[in-house]
Amino acid sequence: MTLLQARQGGWPLHRAVAGGRAGFAALVALYAALVVLCVATLAGAGELNLGRNPWDNLLKTVGEFARPSFLDAWFGPERLVYRSDDGTVLRVENRREVEADFLAAVARATWVTFQIATLGSLLAALMALPLACAVARNLRAPRPLAWAAKGVLDVSRAVHTLVFGLILVGIVGLGPTAGVLAIALHSMGTYGKLLAESIESLDMAAVDAVRATGAGEAQVFFHGVWPTVLPHFVSHHLYVWEFNIRDSTILGLIGAGGLGLLISEAVSLFQWSRLATLLIVVVALVMLFDAVSRRIRKALL
Amino acid sequence: MTAAVSLEGVQVGAGDRVLLQVPQLVIEPGERVAVVGPNGAGKSTLLKLIGGLVQARQGRVQVLGRLIGPGGTDGPASRRALRRDTGLLMQGLHLVPRLTARENVLVGALARLQGADALRSWCRWYPPDLVAEADAALAALGLADRAEARADRLSGGERQKVALARLQLQRPRLLLADEPTSALDPAATAQVCQALLALACVPGRTLVTVVHDLALLPLLATRVIAMADGGLQWDLPLAAVDPVALQALYARLPAPAGGDAPAPAIPGARHGRLAQA
Repeated sequence: MTLLQARQGGWPLHRAVAGGRAGFAALVALYAALVVLCVATLAGAGELNLGRNPWDNLLKTVGEFARPSFLDAWFGPERLVYRSDDGTVLRVENRREVEADFLAAVARATWVTFQIATLGSLLAALMALPLACAVARNLRAPRPLAWAAKGVLDVSRAVHTLVFGLILVGIVGLGPTAGVLAIALHSMGTYGKLLAESIESLDMAAVDAVRATGAGEAQVFFHGVWPTVLPHFVSHHLYVWEFNIRDSTILGLIGAGGLGLLISEAVSLFQWSRLATLLIVVVALVMLFDAVSRRIRKALL
Repeated sequence: MTAAVSLEGVQVGAGDRVLLQVPQLVIEPGERVAVVGPNGAGKSTLLKLIGGLVQARQGRVQVLGRLIGPGGTDGPASRRALRRDTGLLMQGLHLVPRLTARENVLVGALARLQGADALRSWCRWYPPDLVAEADAALAALGLADRAEARADRLSGGERQKVALARLQLQRPRLLLADEPTSALDPAATAQVCQALLALACVPGRTLVTVVHDLALLPLLATRVIAMADGGLQWDLPLAAVDPVALQALYARLPAPAGGDAPAPAIPGARHGRLAQA
């Protein structure tokens, strides 16, 4: 233990981890203290409560969610009359027709969401590929280039898609373009990291063997690196794509089009049954893509 | 004609350990040299040094007329040319796992491609005559039906043969083989040795082999270099090598406690069988 401490020098956390069981216990105690501090300050400020009548609200919400609006397209009343308090007829609507129209809008929005996720992911992949090659240590790119690429990837990973979206809506205006660009800018960082890691896990002996035949650098890349990295690349692509389908459903909240726009409408109009429909669509979309991509990835690796 | 390999006062080390110390070693073009010695003698280090995989700490290393390592002033193009002329058959140099056997063989020919062919090779599209050459090289090693198999689906022996076929397409002037037959069954050993010899028999080609199976000496070498503890012990033409000297070389190693001393194969004991193979 003394030897470890001597070698790992001054940093206390390092020393604590290296210090065996006692050190680990100290770390756990530190973590527990941190959690207690968080709870205590929140409770002290009176922020730790569940509102006035959480149970009633929960039951009401569950009740509305349990009757998703799309059912009305088939089972709803054909003639629903809205009356004011004194009995005057305000509006008559055919629920089936209205909800069928809504479902059509949902389908269009789903397609837009899918478009945003797909194009954003592709753009991200194309931008991340050269950056990942520069970052991967075993490809030995010039150091300043590697640092610059790492900086770009770190920033793009640190800034959330929504934040990129807000900025881009200001630049390119409302609509799917902002969504595509926001997804691309954020996913680029995720991609770059994943891809650089799979390049770094490469069997360098095989790459060296190709280089040892006197092949040029491009030939070494396309014969030694690319064939091995390609399946990882496709696998990461599917993963990030899948992730972005989830992410792009949210992008509509800031005006970038797609399902998110309908979600924010439903929320602001308190149309919980419509929200239920939308969530069902989101879950189905994500699960479907999940299953497909998992199957493809399994076949590839 | 310049020497194929010329070392002068070379020292290779890792940390404060000296792995290899060679005051003087010259290998002429066309020679077939075997390097023998117990484990840890520095044989592989010597081969890696000549192959450019390891750098000398001090001294002059000249390979095929080019100075490598410290003091070498060659540009990347010249280094590439040297790599092309030096064929390596080593444990650590693998095939590319996801390429087929044929594509791995064709990797050997990459440096020969010019212009549009070189660009097309990026998409693994090769001139038909090279593909035919690769198939012929594979067929000669009995792998004709494995050409389409991915390298990571091949057995150890098959991989070694594919690496040999790759060398065949590379057409190097200096061949460096590190225990080319280790972990091969007798039939594969004979095949690999024959192929290696066929490669080395072109006039002007030099072959340097690290040999553990001493029965292979007469087949692979005309000159034997013995190493121990990172230095050269003796350097004799094959005819002058006597079994006693070889025994003594391996006997330098203290026997491990288990009594499982590395028993050196005694030359002569298996000569007859191998010569027929």
